[in-house]
Amino acid sequence: MTPKPAGPPDGGWGWAVAAAAFAVNGLSYGLLRSLGLALPDLAEHFDRSTQDTAWVSALALAVQQAASPVGSALSTRWGARPVVMVGGVLTSLGFVFSAFAGSLLHLYLGLGILAGSGWALVFAPALGTLSRYFSRRRVLAVGLALTGNGASSLLLAPSLQFLLDTFGWRGALLLLGAVTLHLAPCGALLRPLALPGDPPAPPRGPFAALGLGLFARRAFSVFALGTALVGGGYFVPYVHLAPHALDRGLGGYGAALVVVVAAVGDAGARLISGWLADQGWVPLSRLLLVFAALTGLGLLAVGLVPLAGSQEGCWGALLAAAGAYGLSAGSYAPLVFGVLPGLVGVGGVVQATGLVMMLMSLGGLLGPPLSGFLRDETGDFTASFLACGSFILCGSVIYMGLPGALPSWRPAPGPAPPPPESRELLPVLPAALLSSGGPQSTRDTSC
Amino acid sequence: MRAPPGLLGPRGPLPLALLCLLAAARGSLADGQPSASPFTSLPTQEEMTTKNSNLSLTTKYSNLSLESPNISLTASSFTSLPIREKMTTKYSNLSLESPNIPLTASPFTSLPIREEMTTKYSNLSLESHNISVTEHSCVPVEKNITLERPSNIELICQFTASRDVNSVNVTWKKGDELLENYLINVTGSIVYAQYMFTIINSKQMGSYSCFFGEKKEQRGTFHFKVPKIHGKNKPLVTYVRDTTVLICKCQHCSPLNWTWYSSNGSVQVPIDVQMTDKYVINGTNANETRLKIMQLTEDNQGSYWCHAVFQLGESEERVELVVLSYLVPLKPFLGIVVEVVILVAIILLYETYTQKKKKHIDDGKEFEQVEQLKSDDSNGVENNAPRHRKNESVSQ
Repeated sequence: MTPKPAGPPDGGWGWAVAAAAFAVNGLSYGLLRSLGLALPDLAEHFDRSTQDTAWVSALALAVQQAASPVGSALSTRWGARPVVMVGGVLTSLGFVFSAFAGSLLHLYLGLGILAGSGWALVFAPALGTLSRYFSRRRVLAVGLALTGNGASSLLLAPSLQFLLDTFGWRGALLLLGAVTLHLAPCGALLRPLALPGDPPAPPRGPFAALGLGLFARRAFSVFALGTALVGGGYFVPYVHLAPHALDRGLGGYGAALVVVVAAVGDAGARLISGWLADQGWVPLSRLLLVFAALTGLGLLAVGLVPLAGSQEGCWGALLAAAGAYGLSAGSYAPLVFGVLPGLVGVGGVVQATGLVMMLMSLGGLLGPPLSGFLRDETGDFTASFLACGSFILCGSVIYMGLPGALPSWRPAPGPAPPPPESRELLPVLPAALLSSGGPQSTRDTSC
Repeated sequence: MRAPPGLLGPRGPLPLALLCLLAAARGSLADGQPSASPFTSLPTQEEMTTKNSNLSLTTKYSNLSLESPNISLTASSFTSLPIREKMTTKYSNLSLESPNIPLTASPFTSLPIREEMTTKYSNLSLESHNISVTEHSCVPVEKNITLERPSNIELICQFTASRDVNSVNVTWKKGDELLENYLINVTGSIVYAQYMFTIINSKQMGSYSCFFGEKKEQRGTFHFKVPKIHGKNKPLVTYVRDTTVLICKCQHCSPLNWTWYSSNGSVQVPIDVQMTDKYVINGTNANETRLKIMQLTEDNQGSYWCHAVFQLGESEERVELVVLSYLVPLKPFLGIVVEVVILVAIILLYETYTQKKKKHIDDGKEFEQVEQLKSDDSNGVENNAPRHRKNESVSQ
């Protein structure tokens, strides 16, 4: 007789999965961000404008996020491991193909579509699997994995510059193809895990695999709407924080410092918020609400800061606002993935991750162009940051509809110990973990 | 050319108001230098040349006779100085017939003169440059001037003397060559030395220095250079059978012509575009040039030079081209791919190994559990002994 699946191991092989997710994050988002270094060489070689080459990165990012549900659907059907390994090979092929590009179109196809699809196949399954391996330390593990982004930028940016100087952009892309092939061993580390909440059979049909049925749950729909709104404002600082600092008269190094302060705050906060969330003192959805609201306020501050005060006051105030934004945005990020098991159960985490990525990508596509448009209309970024700050605040208002977000939602202690997956929404001792899962765990736990 | 109507008479000094107008008009000319020039007198003798873009007449040649002894001019920048002999002999066969040359403070003063000479330098702009030298400047005072087109030049050195001002000896030199025909003025304790000339070709470019003092220890230098062009600082890395474009740009200038050279050893060889269709030279606008090289081979590697030709000289810049074969990045690529395959193999093998071990242990445990249950089920003690033996023999 087969033994009943145990709960999430919360350690052990989970740390290997965390390392794999860290590397996946670094080799997808981190690499995409550093790719900007190669764009001027491409513009020069193909004699096209900066805007045209910027589309290479933008297309890759868009495909990666929008196609995320496909990745999670495939991994629900066949398991995360083969999907991530195939995604790694696909990304690598995209880079190798683009190394031989004869025109910018080849780059759009190779880097934008092929590599973007490969990345779409790796991120959601890796992060989803990580969520399954942890329960008590889940948000910390996710936060740890999400710092892969920043660490990879630190490492890849100078390396990429070296590759460009030594091998030219063609050789650099070829070698990046080899580097991204490391996604395959990361995928190999994602050992399949059987958990109590898993659906008994793989879903039939593509739509079931996509997990669109998850939207039928009220909590997930609320979360999805809130996250889509937050996504509208979340990505704007990635693109426009430095130009905003330059507009305020900070100078090149001052603007770089502002970006660094935000990035460091972001990375550090991911770990701290992960640890904090796992302590269980506060329900996760409440933390999500609080940090989303703080991120929105931080962005409002960034936009409004220089309206008061002199030039010197500008420096300090802008740095402080950027730091506050970085800390809150970093705290928000792991929580987005951390609340998912509570909303949809561990069985649906992978699909939910893919859907969340897609929703954030909608915001990511609309936010920066809107911000740029506002800036062109009004002359500076104040309106842009106010707009994206308000998007995020709207999103956090919607988060109030999540179970456990507002204090009045806390239920009276019931007779039966709550199922393990609902632990995240109620501040209950981790001892409740050991109770048997059963079918309740996949149900919505709204009061 | 007749003098335009409305000019003042030639006699007597200019009214003050017109002097101010002159000074103001001068301030609007090129280089934005301080508007009041200290030079207010003119040798009333023969030569009079006025070199100014707004004047419709310039004459500057010493053995031309000018019969108008009563010319006085109080606004300095439009006075002129006797010119160096070299330039004067060029136009010695021209004569000037204008006995009564009126001159007003207006920058649009014109003098009746023959037409061939009127347009010679009248359409050149005037550039004025200023250097201040103090007695205690240990570092030679220099000014770099970038010049693209022929212009009239006015150089002014002002020297602040601490001692007796009038004993300061001033000389002008171009390189090592002594210059003449400069003006000196002393105002308060500052000595102003002015030198005016025209640059029309590359021979007049170079360094002009003013020297103050007995031993010529204080000096200021003006360096005239053609604009610099910019290529790419880093070598351009390309691959065999690829196409590449080498670009040279000039920020704020428009050369007359661009030429490209490739280097054969240390010799610069011009690139002939007509001969092969391997090279194409074009440029989108006047301040940039592009050399497109098709079907690169490893022989094309090396330095390329772009030359920008100006009226006043040439400026060059070097661009380095590196051509690699695909094998160069291919080796590290294959190395990394092999490493990745090995990693994947290690991970999967490790997993099957641990799973086998775990399965073995689990099987053993399960078997013991089953046996334990069976033995618990039975009540009789007498059955234990044979069962125990059976268990032992089977579990081994």
